[in-house]
Amino acid sequence: MDESNNAADAVQEQVRQALAENAPLDIFAGRTKSFLGRKQSAMPLDLSGLNGVLSYEPGELVLVVRPGTRLSEVESLLDDQNQYFAFEPPGWGEAATVGGTVACNLSGPRRFKMGALRDHLLGIEMIDGYGERIRAGGKVVKNVTGYDLSKALAGSFGTLGVLTEVCLKVWPRPETQATLIVNGLDPGPALERMLDWAARPLQITGLAYDEDTGLVVRIEGPAPAVRVQLETLRSGETAECASMEEDQSRVFWRSWRELEWLVSKPGLQRWRFSGPPTRMVRLMEALKAEGLDRWGLDWAGGLLWALLPVDAEVGLVHRTAFRHEALGWRFAVDERNEEAFTPPNAGVVRMNQMLKRSLDPQGIFNPGKMFALDEV
Amino acid sequence: MNYPEPDKSRLARRQPLIDRLRQDLGPDQIIHHQEDLVAYECDALSAYRQRPMLVTLPDNTQQVSAVLKACSDLDIPIVPWGAGTGLSGGALPREDGVVLSTARMREILDVDLENRTVTVQPGVTNRGVSAAVEQYDFYYAPDPSSQIACSIGGNIAENSGGVHCLKYGTTTNNLLGMEVVLADGEVVRGGGKGMDQAGYDLLGLLTGSEGLLAITTEATLRILPKPEVARAMMAVYDSVEAAGQAVAEIIAAGMVPAGMEIMDQLSVEAVEGFVGAGYPLGVAALLLVELDGPQSEVEHQVGELEELLERAGASEIRRAQTEAERLALWAGRKAAFPAMGRVSPDYYCMDGTIPRGKLPLVLGRIGELAQTYGLRVANVFHAGDGNLHPLVLYDSNIEGDLEKAEELGADILRLCVEVGGVLSGEHGVGIEKRELMPCMFKDADLDAQERIKTGFDQKQILNPGKVFPILRNCAEGGAMHVHGGEERFPDLERF
Repeated sequence: MDESNNAADAVQEQVRQALAENAPLDIFAGRTKSFLGRKQSAMPLDLSGLNGVLSYEPGELVLVVRPGTRLSEVESLLDDQNQYFAFEPPGWGEAATVGGTVACNLSGPRRFKMGALRDHLLGIEMIDGYGERIRAGGKVVKNVTGYDLSKALAGSFGTLGVLTEVCLKVWPRPETQATLIVNGLDPGPALERMLDWAARPLQITGLAYDEDTGLVVRIEGPAPAVRVQLETLRSGETAECASMEEDQSRVFWRSWRELEWLVSKPGLQRWRFSGPPTRMVRLMEALKAEGLDRWGLDWAGGLLWALLPVDAEVGLVHRTAFRHEALGWRFAVDERNEEAFTPPNAGVVRMNQMLKRSLDPQGIFNPGKMFALDEV
Repeated sequence: MNYPEPDKSRLARRQPLIDRLRQDLGPDQIIHHQEDLVAYECDALSAYRQRPMLVTLPDNTQQVSAVLKACSDLDIPIVPWGAGTGLSGGALPREDGVVLSTARMREILDVDLENRTVTVQPGVTNRGVSAAVEQYDFYYAPDPSSQIACSIGGNIAENSGGVHCLKYGTTTNNLLGMEVVLADGEVVRGGGKGMDQAGYDLLGLLTGSEGLLAITTEATLRILPKPEVARAMMAVYDSVEAAGQAVAEIIAAGMVPAGMEIMDQLSVEAVEGFVGAGYPLGVAALLLVELDGPQSEVEHQVGELEELLERAGASEIRRAQTEAERLALWAGRKAAFPAMGRVSPDYYCMDGTIPRGKLPLVLGRIGELAQTYGLRVANVFHAGDGNLHPLVLYDSNIEGDLEKAEELGADILRLCVEVGGVLSGEHGVGIEKRELMPCMFKDADLDAQERIKTGFDQKQILNPGKVFPILRNCAEGGAMHVHGGEERFPDLERF
């Protein structure tokens, strides 16, 4: 604690220095997600040394860590206690940290059932744009004391402050899991199944589709319950089915969330679209005009992963997403990635500015990371 | 309590404001006769009262915007009002301010079963959301005890929870989209039917902001398929600590029950005398646990749970065999607050949350504090999430008793913070815990929050005087007071 507190003091000193010099900061740790967001030129602020678990009490379902702590380290710690992050974050690289995951609000296949990272973020400590270390939220699972700033920090891509501590809710890991694969479904019928199954009172914690793999459904819980529920789904299905038992199922979903199936090829890049489940197949169809290559659905239909040509007209892709009430993220290769995210409407932009200016009036935290400076 | 003196110049602008509002609102949408304003003097924290200058009842977003614009132009504070069921005085009016009630905005705008969302106006009740989708076997998960009356707008303002929130989350975890009106009247829509928002998580920031940043005019909520089955059981322990330990073991075993509630001896006896729920008398602690989910899962877990409860030292375990028995077990718990009227003329309800492991320590200290103050405290709490509702019993006819109860209550909340908890689990800070905020937050923390407030509401017209302390020290605080069992909403369940 003392050592990592010294590290936090040192980071605070760097932020104060940057404020005094009005020198913008480029906050990073593992650099595993540098393809997200817009590129910026600013003074690097490395948080990988600001690491360590501050407290983990399995009985409280609460974990407090420094942001530079590796995600893999924390996950194995939780695993030893038969617990996990229910939001199932992708790491996208061994060096992934908890802080980076929070900054990007990354959640995996379980998101539609168990919530996003932001739903499990209970509190934070951060350095604000006045150089102060401030706390918001708490370290208990139920709290309504002051504004829940931690939610705003999740998915802010480091533009609102520098995290120095995060408190996350952890969850008992279900005893086992199994996955049913339904083959031979076209996209339309596959989405229909997703919508139908997500509305059933079953412990379905993964519901994804891609044309090569088929429709995959994960069920978690005690072994006998998993068996019964899997059988319920299989017996009502007319298409050809196969299943994956626990180990195989775990391996599959890990590789799915890490996007190992969506390997980028020369001339193509990854995109992520999030929106109302019912619209996502139509969005996929519309993206064919922009040269859609491989694609897949996650989050029971609410998330569309896609490969699009590097030279696709970015603004047009965002407008297509917007038309389907969806938000696009463009994963950069090397370029500046000017239009990384589908922009919010004017009113939301104004509210974003209100928040940004309250916390970072000098604009030194990751300036332009999410949107061009004149936008937010 | 230190409530700001009404601003005389604002009082003088009452008539110009009425004239201005009449441009956009009908005559029945502006309440200004003194006798009609009485109904809006207080929310469910009825110890504190202020009569508002006016009450407005807009029908739609455009009218909400018009009221805000008028008040912004004339520099008149606005107090947003849902159903007035809040327990922290978050909707307490100001003499120099306008109450904006969403009571006439009660439409369910959209039910989308495929995307599993319901979109409502803010005046729709919490229960109304579930009622709209019940026939399709869906429901809305947050279930505050006042759910038949409390409004979705108010739920968003207070981030309302309920007895099921360890498993299903509070309002913030079940909100997907919003339309809000900002202090200057601008209408903004954020989020939608998808699972992400463009830009910052404004929904997360606004939920639980107690009406200080914007007024909700529409909300898109996530609905869930109704669990196939629910099974409840009751276990008796010879101390509250032992019951708390049983809860810890349930969680350690990897189970996440839909609800876990503990009552101490004083509460059990009051309840039994009040509703006759069939609870055993003379027991030190009662634990209620409910499992829900697919039948295959619940049937499997129910046996395991019973064994766990027994190993944890339960002297008696009773499984509800029928739906009627299950409801009877809950009926007792839900009657815990009103039942206090049988054992004390008045009570004072606290709402701190603590790390569950600190339960023995906190209960011990509450006992000592109660002795020091010469008052009794009954304990009921949401054991799964560590949310305590100590009920301080007092008699307002005895001089100084109320003040003693308030001081004891504030000490209990300070204790919650001291052991790593928070001032409010679900009732909000409002007016009552405002002055205790510095116990939990440093000046710099509060500065940042107040800057956000100013960033969103430069003129400080949205619910000013709430949440933030007037004095920045760890001073007096209050809580829900009830005299002679007369709550402001006596028919509402409170738990």
